[in-house]
Amino acid sequence: MISLTVQNHQPFAIKNIPILTLQEFEGSVREGMLTHARMIGLFGLEKTQTETTVIAVLSNPSTSSLHLVGTVFTAINNRYNSFAGVHQQTHYFECELAENHHIIPEGHPWLRPVRKQTVVLDKQPYSMYRMEGEEVHEVAVGPIHAGVIEPGHFRFQCHGELVYHLEINLGYQHRGIEQLLLNTSAAQQNILCESITGDTTVGHTMAHALAVEAISRTTVSLRTQTLRSIAEELERIAMHLAGLGGIANDVGYAIGAASYGRLRTLVINSSALLCGSRFGRGFIVPGGLRFDATTEAIELLQKNLSLVQKDVSTINSVMFDASSVLARLDHTGTVSGEWAKSIGMVGPAARASGIELDTRSQFPYGAYRYSPLPLITLSTGDVFARARIRSLEIDESIRFIFEQFENLPSGSIFNELQPRAKESGVISMVEGWRGEIAHCVFTDSQGSWKRYKIKDPSFHNWYGLALALRSEAISDFPLCNKSFDLSYSGHDL
Amino acid sequence: MIESIQLRVLQGDPIVHDIHHASLPPLFRGKPELHSDQCPDGCNECQKVCPTNAIQLHPLSIDMGLCVFCPLCEQQCPEKAIHFTNEYHLACSSREQLVVSDATKNISPELASEKIRKYFGKSLKLRQISAGGCNGCELELNALSNVNFDMGRFGIEFVASPRHADGIVITGPLPKAMAEATYLCYDAIPSPKINILFGACAISGGIFKDSPELNREFLNNYPVDLFIPGCPPHPLTFIAGMLDWLDKK
Repeated sequence: MISLTVQNHQPFAIKNIPILTLQEFEGSVREGMLTHARMIGLFGLEKTQTETTVIAVLSNPSTSSLHLVGTVFTAINNRYNSFAGVHQQTHYFECELAENHHIIPEGHPWLRPVRKQTVVLDKQPYSMYRMEGEEVHEVAVGPIHAGVIEPGHFRFQCHGELVYHLEINLGYQHRGIEQLLLNTSAAQQNILCESITGDTTVGHTMAHALAVEAISRTTVSLRTQTLRSIAEELERIAMHLAGLGGIANDVGYAIGAASYGRLRTLVINSSALLCGSRFGRGFIVPGGLRFDATTEAIELLQKNLSLVQKDVSTINSVMFDASSVLARLDHTGTVSGEWAKSIGMVGPAARASGIELDTRSQFPYGAYRYSPLPLITLSTGDVFARARIRSLEIDESIRFIFEQFENLPSGSIFNELQPRAKESGVISMVEGWRGEIAHCVFTDSQGSWKRYKIKDPSFHNWYGLALALRSEAISDFPLCNKSFDLSYSGHDL
Repeated sequence: MIESIQLRVLQGDPIVHDIHHASLPPLFRGKPELHSDQCPDGCNECQKVCPTNAIQLHPLSIDMGLCVFCPLCEQQCPEKAIHFTNEYHLACSSREQLVVSDATKNISPELASEKIRKYFGKSLKLRQISAGGCNGCELELNALSNVNFDMGRFGIEFVASPRHADGIVITGPLPKAMAEATYLCYDAIPSPKINILFGACAISGGIFKDSPELNREFLNNYPVDLFIPGCPPHPLTFIAGMLDWLDKK
């Protein structure tokens, strides 16, 4: 394909991105996707009164390369041939582009709003999919749900107990983060990135810091890289424990829920040992870290983790051996590997369906370049696999952290940032606990941000949840939802 | 069966027994301690770095309703005039009380009215509304029901339906898209009802306060009973605040 090829976190000049005619652009993107690249971004980079420059970003995990290619749309020529009919993974990106820039994919199978419920995308207002027939009924849930959880609207088309179609309508959390990131101070940008989704604070601040450091050609010490990865793995362990606790709770396995909950408290309190916040807030900043790990903190953290390691293996062996639990997890909410791949699912949910995708091993960054983590996959793609894979990842993350503490490099924890490169961009991908996070960042002629595009892993995976519900009992929705454990705010931005 | 008992033994006694005297990690950032007498003339380093403009000078004060406890001001101050202590008793019942200065000693909410204490003193059911909350506050509210904090022992619980609730706890800066749902939920709760704001975003909009995507009109129309500052607030800040406010021991 004709494109600019770069590595993860490799800065490039914007002028090197080939801007093609529409036909060439379409051909190039199609060619990329036929050679196993995945779409990770399709967005407007620049907008003048008459023209919008659109960039497509594809990632190819097998070659660890990223590909960028662009084209120009005008107010009159604002249509292109949709890719989504063949490559379903582009479906949501095309909807997003239509919503933000009114660039319409011709022949798109399901053009719907992403974050703005009332927007008119093409010719008529969108109305939700509806099934009709005898004894068919519709269940509407949300935006406010039964639990202490973020808002979103779910609409089920059911026949009896069976769900034929689930439509997920989000956008209730839209706070305009991408816009806010453009005109704010560096300190504010960091807080905004911490709040993209508060459960992935470390993941998103890591992506932000790596992007800023790449574009300003600043290197950080090995100690910084190692401590960052330790924080990232702590977050992964904590949220996986929270997810397993939620799954145990949803199947009525109370002792499991209580045990995972207790262990999660230990892990997030360990994060607080490093930086004072149970969610890793205020820890990672562009240029390094705000706090260095003291010897006492490290000792206490290791003690906590040893306890977690011991107890979690006991609880896992009991829970994943209990027939009452397995009866609820096995064959529930299955997403086949074929489906998962075609809709571009990421993270543990994709790996549970047998998709080999992990930014830490395919696009390694920071400490993962020196201490690789194994890429774990399972094949069944059901709730069991999504739960089991999280328990396996907890074991690996704990092992990784102990290994890092064995030879924690010394060095400074902060390096002053150099001036940002002008008219440049960088793609910063990081493996958050939910999966691939991508921050696509571009600067203008002054070195200020021109465009800050964020992609949370939930952006791909919400559609996976909808597919998991096909031909399932509606009563299994909470369990399926918890097994995906997706972010509303990360999607809505 | 034996295995379940083993798991129960492993649990040990994880509960925080004394809500008012828990020890938190040394780096935990709670109530700021200020020494404005140490401020050099003409220095505004703290004000310059504060991401939410929470700091006022002459005299030095920090608005905890805006503060995201990021420690930039503490790290930037040349004279160490600002220090975030471990103190997690931060809940209060008026917006003004959230502004901390040199003179601020202990922060505690004023007692709830006699009617509220009579109605809800023994059993209080709350409905949570996440209106743009990033899931940080939501996770901490969920943590209130885990085995460590177990707020249920004080008769305070979260419920699913607003019809079963005695009040709401709002998290997040209230985006436009949640405006209608917030009204509907609040209106569905029978009176008397209480209104609690949890976290910097809910109290002031926090880091999002200048976003054009917000609609915070709801808060102009309904009184707030309790403010719980933090980003996110610690679960103990919430429980301790509720116990003080309802005069429960």
